[in-house]
Amino acid sequence: MTMRGLQATQAAVLALAGTAFAVCCVLPLAYMVWRSLASAPQGGAPVVAALLLDARQRELLANSTLLGAGTALGATLIGAPLGVALARVALPFKGVLRVALIAPLLLPPYVMGLAWLYLGGSAGLVARMVGRDVLSPWTYSLAGATFVLALVFFPLSMLATEVALRRVDGRSEEAALMVARPGRVLWRITLPLAAPAITAAALLIFVLAISEFGVPGLLRVRVFTTEVFTAFAALYDFNRATILALPLLVVSVLVTAVAAVLVGERLIVTRRGTRAGRPVSFDAWRRFAIVASMCVLLLALVVPLAVLAYEASGVRSFAAIVRGSREAITNSLMLATIGASLVVTIAVWLGYTRARVSRGLGRIADVLWVVLFATPSTVIGVGLIGLWNQPGMVGAVYGTDAMLVLAYLARFVPVAALVLGASVRHVPASHEEAAAVGGAGWLRAMTFIVLPQIRLGILTAWTIAFILAFGELGASILVAPPGATTLPIRIYTIIANTPPAQVAALALLQSAVVFVPLAALGLGVAVREVR
Amino acid sequence: MSVPFVRVRDVTKRYGTHTALMALSLDVGLAESVVVLGPSGCGKTTLLRLLAGLEVPHQGEIWLAGRQVAEPGRNLVPPHERRIGFVFQDLALWPHLTVREHLTFVMGSVRVPKSQRPQQTRETLGLVRIERLAHRYPHELSGGEQQRVALARALVGRPRLLLLDEPFSSLDPDLRATLRSELSRLRRALELTMIYVTHDREDAAVLADRIVMMREGQIQSIAQDSRPR
Repeated sequence: MTMRGLQATQAAVLALAGTAFAVCCVLPLAYMVWRSLASAPQGGAPVVAALLLDARQRELLANSTLLGAGTALGATLIGAPLGVALARVALPFKGVLRVALIAPLLLPPYVMGLAWLYLGGSAGLVARMVGRDVLSPWTYSLAGATFVLALVFFPLSMLATEVALRRVDGRSEEAALMVARPGRVLWRITLPLAAPAITAAALLIFVLAISEFGVPGLLRVRVFTTEVFTAFAALYDFNRATILALPLLVVSVLVTAVAAVLVGERLIVTRRGTRAGRPVSFDAWRRFAIVASMCVLLLALVVPLAVLAYEASGVRSFAAIVRGSREAITNSLMLATIGASLVVTIAVWLGYTRARVSRGLGRIADVLWVVLFATPSTVIGVGLIGLWNQPGMVGAVYGTDAMLVLAYLARFVPVAALVLGASVRHVPASHEEAAAVGGAGWLRAMTFIVLPQIRLGILTAWTIAFILAFGELGASILVAPPGATTLPIRIYTIIANTPPAQVAALALLQSAVVFVPLAALGLGVAVREVR
Repeated sequence: MSVPFVRVRDVTKRYGTHTALMALSLDVGLAESVVVLGPSGCGKTTLLRLLAGLEVPHQGEIWLAGRQVAEPGRNLVPPHERRIGFVFQDLALWPHLTVREHLTFVMGSVRVPKSQRPQQTRETLGLVRIERLAHRYPHELSGGEQQRVALARALVGRPRLLLLDEPFSSLDPDLRATLRSELSRLRRALELTMIYVTHDREDAAVLADRIVMMREGQIQSIAQDSRPR
């Protein structure tokens, strides 16, 4: 292939991926913003003013902000010390412990919300055991939602802290160790150096928390995401839904952009940097770290799953439950598989482009992807409906299962692109150049040189996309065509009028799909650690 | 030499299958300056790290000021209790602290009374001639200025022993010569015991009371400096 031909193939593939990204991820959001500004009779500015002056809006804003800030604080207080422990304490079976501690993040948040509802709700396990309702005022509250979301999102802070600590130059710590005890070195040298990453993780958790729909919806906390859903799904007021989505979107974009700038390229690249010196270890805190990890695991994983299992034990026939939800389960598995595959197909080229462009452009791409990933699910749902619910050819997609796949693409292509961009950056450009000099065309070089080297990244991105798509609720519940359902939609919609045992059984089933591959991963890590 | 201030006895240190130090013994007297010369990988840095307590010997003993600080497989005294100043090859300045904060951190760690800290900071900055840089961060300093900060940090805690691991290796020859002579002046003024690791013979010529030649983890020769004092 000539050089001209090579460039043409490359340009065509990357342009196709870029177009798919623009249509699937950017357009719905752009359309939503345009609609919300245009829907005001007097133009955009008065809409914002009205939003800020309306007392109900102010309450929503206050609730959303408190939920985000409380969750970020709680998740950091739990996650950061665990991250320190994973990075610097010689814990037994650390790999398995890490996988187990990540698990709550991989479960759909509403499953966790459901578990705490069945434990502390007005007819929950605690109320039944003590004979009166003692916990429900806490459960159905902002504090309750904050507690649940902190237990869902703490792994993000934990991972960010661990990665940041591993990247701290060991010499800096050794220089401090010459005069100070390890605890003082941690507090004055190590943690301040890791602070940008920990802060960025906290900001990201803030955004994810205010973007969350399932948990506040279940625990009856009025925040923007639930109001957007109510405006659209219950009141059929598309204009109100788009206007409500706007402040949520603005806050998400601003906070995420700050986080991405703060942490720079460290957000995703987790490879250890070249560093000399030996990092400080805090093995004196080993016992405390083990006890703390176990307590967190108990609260964030064991208790919720045990509650669901206890509730589900009341079903007469688990098989009947599965049969009754067969369509939802099959749909979920099929759509999540198709969605994850399409997500990776688009994201791999975006990731490749990000890895090969200049540093500045790469940073901009990272910020854009983080912002898009943090965009609230209900906002994306409203944007997708506005974009595709049109007369003519475009509208042919609306009302089909393809809308669910489009929702998965809109939500998860950015995160997959971040993961794959980091993977491709580990493949030197010289490998492609060597293939080109050897006579290979660009596609051939990609197929036989680049893609095989990032297969682990591709598998990781696919798994992440599958897990997220399988548990997606906020956008799916808005865009799902009449009659079509997925497991999350089915669980969420039958909660009010179905015996808890059946709902809990379905939630456990949902968890099992996530846990089977996770348990396999944990087992693999354990075997490697024992060896 | 009377009782040596630093005593290294038959110390062996291995990294996996590689033996970095092999039954090495070395005595250094109080206020003596020893320069350790040798090619890369000969074990010079390992020797300093063992003295600092950043590594544990596999065999042998290490004594500082008459007190045993390490035995085979175990450090008996942690680094921060050995009262050692260490200048690392890459300096290891803390990017989030100003020059003054570097010194304050050290003084806080070694429990210098708060009332004495401003005076001690001024004196130390004056010693290395960087009084005007007190409020700067490391990235705002030139290479030579950073070297002086690293030296100030090592000195401000009033250490008994100063260890330097090729501190001037990344500097141009002129600056290197300047800092070398300043270090010599400081060492004499403060009567410091010093072990200086380098592969530069000029460093050795200016700074050493004794020159220790190392090769493949062992001492090859020890030469007394014969310059007029």
